[in-house]
Amino acid sequence: MASNAAVPFWRTAGMTYITYSNICANLVRNCLKEPYKTEALSREKVHFSISKWTNGKPEKPTIRSDSSEE
Amino acid sequence: MAMAALRREGRRFAPLISPRPITAVRSPPLAPSHEDEGPIGVRYVSTQVVRNRMKSVKSIQKITKAMKMVAASKLRAIQTKAENSRGLWQPFTALLGDLPSVDVKKNVVVTISSDKGLCGGINSTSVKISKGLHKLNSGPEKETKYVILGEKAKAQLVRDSKKDIELIITELQKNPLSYTQVSVLADDILKNVEYDALRIVFNKFHSVVSFVPTVSTVLSPEIVEREAESGGKLGDLDSYEIEGGETKGEILQNLAEFQFSCVMFNAVLENACSEQGARMSAMDSSSRNAGDMLDRLTLTYNRTRQASITTELIEIISGASALEG
Repeated sequence: MASNAAVPFWRTAGMTYITYSNICANLVRNCLKEPYKTEALSREKVHFSISKWTNGKPEKPTIRSDSSEE
Repeated sequence: MAMAALRREGRRFAPLISPRPITAVRSPPLAPSHEDEGPIGVRYVSTQVVRNRMKSVKSIQKITKAMKMVAASKLRAIQTKAENSRGLWQPFTALLGDLPSVDVKKNVVVTISSDKGLCGGINSTSVKISKGLHKLNSGPEKETKYVILGEKAKAQLVRDSKKDIELIITELQKNPLSYTQVSVLADDILKNVEYDALRIVFNKFHSVVSFVPTVSTVLSPEIVEREAESGGKLGDLDSYEIEGGETKGEILQNLAEFQFSCVMFNAVLENACSEQGARMSAMDSSSRNAGDMLDRLTLTYNRTRQASITTELIEIISGASALEG
């Protein structure tokens, strides 16, 4: 089954489905009215520290700390 | 009188001077530190030492009790989240099945563990299972890589599996766990790692006392196609109608990514629950042990105290009888 069908725009832009759905979710959150909006946005903060290892050697860990996906 | 003077001189002189083999030290019944050698030559431990020990054991007991309460409250908070998240991956398993026995070239083992310690043996069991999976899936042309979440698994796996580590992720629980956090994490993993099958190792939370280590398998879309040909659950995929102008391959790609994200979310939550539950039971048994230790120390203390009182009485009486006779 050759996929000749047009790949959705976000896939060609390099995003995965997860990134796409996170952006959509953030758009929906931004549609909320005021008290709920700040609550929802503060609930969805992201923080972790990721370090890639090559050949048994760690590289410098980068901290992914965005308030939420942009 | 002479005896009193000798007594005050201190224990070091007494054995040399006094004809009796008693270390004579003046002491009130509630003793400050002294070392007693009883009339038979039995040595008792100092009561001050015992008292210090009792104080520290008691404070440890208070701390572990408090930790247990904290863990119980955290558990209550996460538990509802974890149970609600189970509904996310169940449709995926119903659709795509969970095939731990799938035979692929590139395996990636995602080990989920905690950042903090004092939580019993759950991290060790996760690491043991991950190493077991690694061994199971090794062979010609097959490779297994680790993605590690959490400090505790990192410490154990860095020791002997350095070359197989792909990614290490820590500080996950700084903010309360949410789907956004885990999905960003899953996204990072997917971008950095090539895989045919992802095996996620975590501790599933069955109840406060039972945490079962489990493995969830997520296959890449190519492998799903391959397995679909051999029939079974995946073979029925073709019977589904596809709307929206996307191809089957495209949909499988989206589904695989979303499945990974959902399974990761559930796994991280369940592991967090298991961690709190294990910490509760570990702190509970440690409080109980501290209580037992305290009982034994109290007995020793009382024994020592009574022995020193007896010794003193003996001295006084023998001193008095020496004066008379």
